[in-house]
Amino acid sequence: MTGESRTGSVRARITKILRNQGVLIGLIFIIIVASILEHSFLTMSNLLNILRQASAIGILDFGVTFVMMTGGMDLSVGSTVSLCSVVAVSVMNRYGQDVGSDDVVMFAILAAIILGFLVGLINGSLIVAFNGRIGETFIITYGMQIVVSALALLYTGGHFIAGTFAPGIYQWLSTGFVPIILFFTIGAIMHVILAYTPFGKQVSFIGANMDCAKMSGIKVNSIRTLVYGICGICAGITAIIVTSRVYSASPLQGNGYELDAMAAVMVGGTSQTGGTGGIANTILGVLVLSVLGNALNVIGVDANAQLLFRGAIILIAVGLDVWNKSSNIKEASK
Amino acid sequence: MSTRKANRSSFLNLIVDYTVLFILIGFIVFMAMVKPSFLTWWNIKNILIDVSIYGVVACGMTILIISGEFDLSASSQYMWAQILFVSMLNIMKNPLVPILVTLVSGLLIGIINGLIVTKLRINSFITTLGTMTMIRGLCLVFTNGKMVSTNNAFVKAVGSFEFIGLSSFFYIYLIILVVLSIILEYTNFGRRFYATGGNIEVARLAGINTIFQKTAAFSIMGVLCSIAGMMLVAQLRAGSTQYGTDLSLSCVAATVIGGTRLSGGSGNALRTALGMLVIVMLYKALVYLGLQAYYQNLVKGLVLILVVMFDLFMSQQRKVMVR
Repeated sequence: MTGESRTGSVRARITKILRNQGVLIGLIFIIIVASILEHSFLTMSNLLNILRQASAIGILDFGVTFVMMTGGMDLSVGSTVSLCSVVAVSVMNRYGQDVGSDDVVMFAILAAIILGFLVGLINGSLIVAFNGRIGETFIITYGMQIVVSALALLYTGGHFIAGTFAPGIYQWLSTGFVPIILFFTIGAIMHVILAYTPFGKQVSFIGANMDCAKMSGIKVNSIRTLVYGICGICAGITAIIVTSRVYSASPLQGNGYELDAMAAVMVGGTSQTGGTGGIANTILGVLVLSVLGNALNVIGVDANAQLLFRGAIILIAVGLDVWNKSSNIKEASK
Repeated sequence: MSTRKANRSSFLNLIVDYTVLFILIGFIVFMAMVKPSFLTWWNIKNILIDVSIYGVVACGMTILIISGEFDLSASSQYMWAQILFVSMLNIMKNPLVPILVTLVSGLLIGIINGLIVTKLRINSFITTLGTMTMIRGLCLVFTNGKMVSTNNAFVKAVGSFEFIGLSSFFYIYLIILVVLSIILEYTNFGRRFYATGGNIEVARLAGINTIFQKTAAFSIMGVLCSIAGMMLVAQLRAGSTQYGTDLSLSCVAATVIGGTRLSGGSGNALRTALGMLVIVMLYKALVYLGLQAYYQNLVKGLVLILVVMFDLFMSQQRKVMVR
């Protein structure tokens, strides 16, 4: 080791920290800027609000992380949330009086989760049926998005459903710290599954190199299908938390959630091509995006102009990911 | 090249190449039996107008898919072209400058898309998803979500022009289709799109500037989206973010029905035109049969999924045959 390489390594270490902790630094930077610009940003109630909002959408993002770890993509999650929301609320409306409040809540939650799981399985099996790659995955899930959102609209006739039977337990799901605790608990479980179980390792392996995984005897098709199923389950849970907050459901509830979810997952640092990343990254990504969205709202940026930010953030996140990868390859080849 | 010829001679490929024609004929016969009034001249003329406007973009999508890329932002570009063109027309009477500005803006958006995909090496789906969101945001900021309309004399004249019973749109489309088909089939520039999409490594080793080819494909797409947007303005004398939200996916569906593989390297703009005819006739038939709007969406989504499944199935058959 000569002195020259040591100074080089200091610089390399700094860029490495910047690259690996870039999201965290970005988060802190946004918080500082927003609290300077607007004093009401850094209050306890606003921060709790951000966390509460982040937790509903965040659970969806865990599912999307699984899908993107395999190198896939699911554009139908938003409309799956819509469908599960309208079904959950209408189940409670219809059977609330007969069954009693505790049972009907269980029933509605089960209905939403099973429905989400089924939609996910359909997605997965369509993609796997003829060994679809990223292009086909994109178009199939886009087609499913149109179909599922049409189903949600047909189910309600285009109307929004107000909950007429409001059990206390259901509303409790979105009060105070409950959604935040749910978010972190589910996140911890998902993290353990993805990082420490054979199933999780296989998911990452498929994303890193699908052909190689297939040749090593991993059941690629069933794992890919199951991953979309998990994503559907997360959509069901998100639907329940989102509807419990306002206790009503709209067939357009989840429109655009898929873009937010993809953005959060990619900002967190899960690669668009799969293989690297994880649930912890996604939690950071979710926090960055919700803090940014809230900051833009508090500062007073127009909702339409926020679309511009959202598109730019997706591009920047993916650009950073590609840059990161190419510099890693350079480092490895040195 | 020789494998292409060898494949072409086989029976299955013959059927694949002409599937779109069979579907079209079958569909027309079906509609003639169920609703004979569907095939009146008035209705056919309307269908042709829609085919012309969407078909212009479908030509660009065909070139992009041939060169192995994809553009989800087509519908946003189309909206932006409408809005830009209308607002320019409201400032000045002479249509020449607005037309040029709209074309240049389409070209620029295409070049930006192409450079992001080729230079930063980001997957074209995600790139165009990002630019789609951004351009849509730009349109909404620009118009506040409202419709913009114009009363320009030139636009009116183009919109109402007819020759041998067919509107001006049809002739514009015909010219674009023929020119692009000739470029694709008979020029070196056009053949390089096939080479780039077929196998990018081989194309690069053979000395083709693949970055230029892909950026060119995106730029052509941008210009064609601008042309289509201006055609819609000529037809409706208005522009809005509500017009053409399904454009990108209709174009993909038309291209794939026309027998262009999503994996790139093969395809043909003329067959895409037939595919577009099938798609637009299907949409019109759904309205004509009196289906509720939500059912129409359901059918559109299902068609998209079926088309992709068909494409995957056929490419697998081909792989089996090559073995």
